Amino acid sequence: MTASRTAAVAARVLRQLARDRRFVVLMLVAPLGIVFFTKTLFDAADTPLLDVTPFAVPFGCFIIHFATFILTALVLVRERTAETMERMFINGYHRSEIITGYLLAYTTLATALSLLVLAELQWLFALGYGVGRLASIFLVMWLLAMISMALGILVSNAARSEAQVIPFIPAIVLPSLIFSGIIVAVDRMPVWAQVLSRISPMYYANEVLQELIAGSGLGGDVASVVMLPVGGIVVLLLATQTLREKG
Amino acid sequence: MDLAVRLQGITKRYGRVTALDGVDLTIPAGSVYGVVGPNGAGKTTLMRLLVGALAPDEGDIEVLGADLRRERRRVRSHIGYMPQAPVLYEDLTAAENVAFFARGHLLDDVGDAVRRSLEFTDLVDRADDLVRTLSGGMRQRVSLAATLVHQPRVLLLDEPTAGVDPELRHSFWERFRDLTTHGATLLISTHQMDEVVHCDRVAILRAGTVLTEETPQRILTEGRATVTVWTGETPHRHEVADYPGEVPRLLRRWQLDPAVTRIEIEGQTLEDAVLALIEDEEAGAHDG
Repeated sequence: MTASRTAAVAARVLRQLARDRRFVVLMLVAPLGIVFFTKTLFDAADTPLLDVTPFAVPFGCFIIHFATFILTALVLVRERTAETMERMFINGYHRSEIITGYLLAYTTLATALSLLVLAELQWLFALGYGVGRLASIFLVMWLLAMISMALGILVSNAARSEAQVIPFIPAIVLPSLIFSGIIVAVDRMPVWAQVLSRISPMYYANEVLQELIAGSGLGGDVASVVMLPVGGIVVLLLATQTLREKG
Repeated sequence: MDLAVRLQGITKRYGRVTALDGVDLTIPAGSVYGVVGPNGAGKTTLMRLLVGALAPDEGDIEVLGADLRRERRRVRSHIGYMPQAPVLYEDLTAAENVAFFARGHLLDDVGDAVRRSLEFTDLVDRADDLVRTLSGGMRQRVSLAATLVHQPRVLLLDEPTAGVDPELRHSFWERFRDLTTHGATLLISTHQMDEVVHCDRVAILRAGTVLTEETPQRILTEGRATVTVWTGETPHRHEVADYPGEVPRLLRRWQLDPAVTRIEIEGQTLEDAVLALIEDEEAGAHDG
């Protein structure tokens, strides 16, 4: 893997993003809108005794997971169907350079999205968190976005068209919400569901977030904190190995 | 004779469909080699195998003396591949596209390589235009510029003139010939038979097999001709199979006849000759 080829892929993707302002705006505004609708939902429920924070913050995280996963999967499938992926390989680019280049470019988008969603959560739900806690939540969001992008790349390797990505949305994104513990505590689920939850990045993100919301800090659940980057690396390695170079 | 490409017993199947069936080809270095055949003959599969985008089910491929299976990356650095459709990033400019593909080859001076490639393809004035704003012919030129940017020794051009107007097509062939004077080997697939005349040698592909492999001149001489001898207002038509051999013999029979007022010889075009070869082969296959 060479840094210059990786940088060339990242620069090219960023240049394309910069030219597609409508896409970038939609990509940033749509998740913010969903968080706003969630707040509206809680306000309408009018249950003053219920603390919605343990739900709202992880749900904001889930929106980032959802958006970055779909975006990466679709963009890479488009690269394959347009045959530019094949042309990259023929012109010397390696699998790891293409994936790392994409990750670097989309990290900027994921970072901006994480910051905006976090700022909106802090404002809408009047969290009142200090800089340290906000930074920790941001780190969880950011790591989750990285795993989601790696998952998107992995899924794109299995899909031959944009339409084939669609079945993966309910197959991957919805179970990661169901088994994350955001809606129902995982330890109240059957054993098989608890086992399944352990392969969902949202589960570890929620575990860490619940500790942060409770005020324990990142040290409250070190295992889950570690699982986020470890999971990301594992998925990324899988994605790199399964990126098809030949038709 | 130095060989640029050697294919031996190449078979490629897609499920039950055999796209190429035991193809043997040798392509001399520094030549323009044409692969012609109708749609579905296996031309694109052949190109994609040569660039390592597909793996053969059987057979061996050597490019510039190296085994493609074992040394794919090294071989690719010497290959330029122009796909049938102009595979480009529409939201990048012509120069940005060429530069991106150039960077894959880790060139020392990407800027200079891009400039040379754009000059060669006559695109300097449109270098900063987004590809999406360019016409089909212009996009083909950008695609060619991206193919040439690393000065490859072997160029694989898959139907490079498809959908290109006659003037641009002529200019493309001039450029292709220019490249061989600099030592490059060109393998060009086309289904436009009239383009075969530009090639040094031609392989006619049909249903995954090579029907014949010849020079265009030789294919033409194997073609038929219609000789019409007019005596007054009466035409006498003769079909001859061996155009250069039979026509003089036939005319000798008529030359002393004072009634002959006019002689017309209509030779087959290259396209007719190629199609006749394909038809003969099909008839032979049915008879066999």
